[in-house]
Amino acid sequence: MAKYKYTTVEEMPPLAFSLESTRKIPTGSWRHVRPVYKNKTSPCEVGCPAGEKIPEYFELLRQKRYEEAWYKILEDNPLPGVTGRVCYHPCEGQCNRKPYDEGVAIHNIERFVADQNLRNKKLPRVSESPKSEKVAIIGSGPAGLSCAYQLARKGYHAVIYEADHEPGGMLRYGIPDYRLPKKILDKEIADIESTGVEIRPDSRIGGSVAWSELEKYDAVFVAVGAMRSRKMDVPGEDMKGVFTGVDFLWEINNGDVPKIGRNVLVVGGGNTAIDAARTAVRLGKKATILYRRTRTEMPAVPEEIEEAEKEGVRFEFLVAPVKVTGSKGKVSRIELMRMKLGEPDASGRRKPVPVKGSNFQVAADTIISAIGEEPDLSFLPYSFLKKGVRLFVDDDYSTGVPGIFAGGDAATNPNGTVVNAIRAGKEAATSIDEFLGWRTKSNGTPHEVVRPEDVNTFYFPHESRVKVPRIPVAKSKTGFHEVNKTLSEAQALDEADRCFTCGTCLHCDVCMTFCPDVAISKDESGEYVIDYDHCKGCGICVNECPREAMELVPEGSREEVEEAQQV
Amino acid sequence: MGQIKFQLPPEEILAPGHFACPGCGGTLTMRYLLKALGRKTVVVIPACCWSVIDGPVPYSAAGVPVFHTAFETAASTACGIKAGLESQGDHETTVVAFAGDGGTFDIGFQALSGAAERNEDFMYICYDNEAYMNTGIQRSSATPFGAWTTTTPAESPKAENKKNMVEILAAHRIPYLATASVAYPDDMIAKIQKAHDIHGFRFIHVFSPCPPGWKFEPEDSIKISRMAIESKVFPLLEIFNGVDYRLSREPAGTPVTDYIKMQGRFRHLGEKQIEQIQTYVDEEWERLVRKLAPEQHLHQPESRVASKAAKVILAKSQSRKGATS
Repeated sequence: MAKYKYTTVEEMPPLAFSLESTRKIPTGSWRHVRPVYKNKTSPCEVGCPAGEKIPEYFELLRQKRYEEAWYKILEDNPLPGVTGRVCYHPCEGQCNRKPYDEGVAIHNIERFVADQNLRNKKLPRVSESPKSEKVAIIGSGPAGLSCAYQLARKGYHAVIYEADHEPGGMLRYGIPDYRLPKKILDKEIADIESTGVEIRPDSRIGGSVAWSELEKYDAVFVAVGAMRSRKMDVPGEDMKGVFTGVDFLWEINNGDVPKIGRNVLVVGGGNTAIDAARTAVRLGKKATILYRRTRTEMPAVPEEIEEAEKEGVRFEFLVAPVKVTGSKGKVSRIELMRMKLGEPDASGRRKPVPVKGSNFQVAADTIISAIGEEPDLSFLPYSFLKKGVRLFVDDDYSTGVPGIFAGGDAATNPNGTVVNAIRAGKEAATSIDEFLGWRTKSNGTPHEVVRPEDVNTFYFPHESRVKVPRIPVAKSKTGFHEVNKTLSEAQALDEADRCFTCGTCLHCDVCMTFCPDVAISKDESGEYVIDYDHCKGCGICVNECPREAMELVPEGSREEVEEAQQV
Repeated sequence: MGQIKFQLPPEEILAPGHFACPGCGGTLTMRYLLKALGRKTVVVIPACCWSVIDGPVPYSAAGVPVFHTAFETAASTACGIKAGLESQGDHETTVVAFAGDGGTFDIGFQALSGAAERNEDFMYICYDNEAYMNTGIQRSSATPFGAWTTTTPAESPKAENKKNMVEILAAHRIPYLATASVAYPDDMIAKIQKAHDIHGFRFIHVFSPCPPGWKFEPEDSIKISRMAIESKVFPLLEIFNGVDYRLSREPAGTPVTDYIKMQGRFRHLGEKQIEQIQTYVDEEWERLVRKLAPEQHLHQPESRVASKAAKVILAKSQSRKGATS
């Protein structure tokens, strides 16, 4: 073994030594752009009419904090069990994963969260102190419930007047059990009541309750919905054997079985038409949907159309009713006319144009007309501004009569779907809050929405969308059992993992991993800290961030940058 | 499964304040190397970018002992340091020669080849930025066909293909040889740690993009590295004993155009030349596939012939192992 004669550095021959760390060299002065953490808005959140904070509740779900995830949804929507089942989920249409492989099954996750809390009765505390003002709401459909709930959370005393014996409006009487079991609706309405909302059933305004009773309230929200089927406007439609879709579903949901024949023809292409046809199938009948345009133009939710098809509902496209004929006042035939598609109309869909001389007759013992619904506003004591059959309201849901607001299917603002009604109720509650002087009007901050090309898809291997479990068709078409099942926990967690979580930092450490200057670290609370004394502003962290939760800002004063970070 | 995340050793040994350009791939290589090996490491650096990056006297960024040595001597110095440590009874410290492509492919080649042939017990890491970047972007034998450098200007870009260093070292039949990329840090760290546990000469060839030398925005460093892998320009693989080839990642097979078009050093290339590069990449890939171990061909049904050849190689290597035991 060789012996070393040097025991100290001084004894060694001259050799340049570096014993100091380069940490003392402030390379941050090289920088002309600086990376900052800045969360942005995900497109699903913008796509959700109710404005649910989807990335936030997904993250809570991934951590199995189901109760908190539920509360997060409840901030914007008191009926997640309902919308998780029946919403047409426009959020999924906006999902950035859609152009990559398949959009995330957001509504199934929403349903999972709601169902995890079916036995949970603790609702979030009313967020503000009680106020003395009282607000009356006419109608306990989704718009009325949403508005009353949001008002209660703001500290108001909200009273819902419901004409029927049970609350829920179209949710109860328009949607069949196989899509929305009553126990889910009952549970969520009970939750809303537990926040202090008072529901008065059997209280029809203009009927058992006079309009004048509303005058003791500080504001009124009209949310009576559209509960009357539009007329087909053809001769013979008053004959026995002709039903309206709303009436037909109403009776079914009320526990009655309407007398219908074996051969049921349903006229229309919306969800009411599909619901009526699928209900007829469940009653053991043959159902055919007659629609004047083609499948592409059908306003019904595509999944519902597919389900109907699986259950044996037949479709006849490009036909319109001309005349209903029969004997002794009972329907026996319907005369139809062929249509073809013309130019797009105001709705953007191609308009049906009659084909002359194409009339033909079909035998029918039952006809259900489901070509659209309109509100019954005859109870209003004085004339309101209307547009078509609906109440005209401004963007803030005001009707022009001070203190009277309106929303949902009764009004012109977004309508036609449950979630639009929930949005109307929520936003109207804010407007009422402003009207009563508790809050000043805000224009809101503009959203910076993450686009598909902003997502770094390298970090997300392709994975297919969850297959929603359902009961077999043979079983589904013979009864009113709920068709689609709730995702299992494993399925929900896997599906939530497919979410890019656009725009919200999940502390995935990618930024930290790729910093050549070792300038990103985590503090005790797990938040990232950028060492601007050494960061050279290369921008790798920003470019690599899987979800666009960072950005590069021009180098300026520290104050300017801090300000940019806070926005 | 969800998002791809990297699980890296948490300790940061590399210090900030070093002199690397923004977005430097070679610096990330050093950062991951130190994470993988820990503090019981000695690094030998010949003339290369890292001679500067480590910092001016009296500063050093590496956080472990670094020996700066002459251009051609990385491998021989590492041999000497390893021998010195051994003679002191230190069998634990890992000696790493950390050299650029110039100091590996060209100037340091004979020392490297000698050390590989003698199966010296140290690790050699080449961070390949495909030219002499530190001295001002002169071509090296690692510069790819068609690339601009100051010595291969756009009017007459490099006419030769990149030297296949991996094949040359495989021919030395060293126990462990791997390629790695800064875009796949978990893969790189796993390979360095595997190399750490192997006795004898280990070589890791790391693809390290250079924003100023390749003419791209520093923020794209990782993206470009990833594109090089996914377009098969730089396959990620391991070779055991010079014969047993293993692919570490099945590339997506994206066109090389996407990779080429992102870099200013290829800006002068026309469609025809890019096509030529694509053909070369495809042919090289085919040659590589033929060498892969048979079980790697399960998802490569078109290369059944190659699979047979690989089986022969494997059988031979196994019979040799059998003979020695």
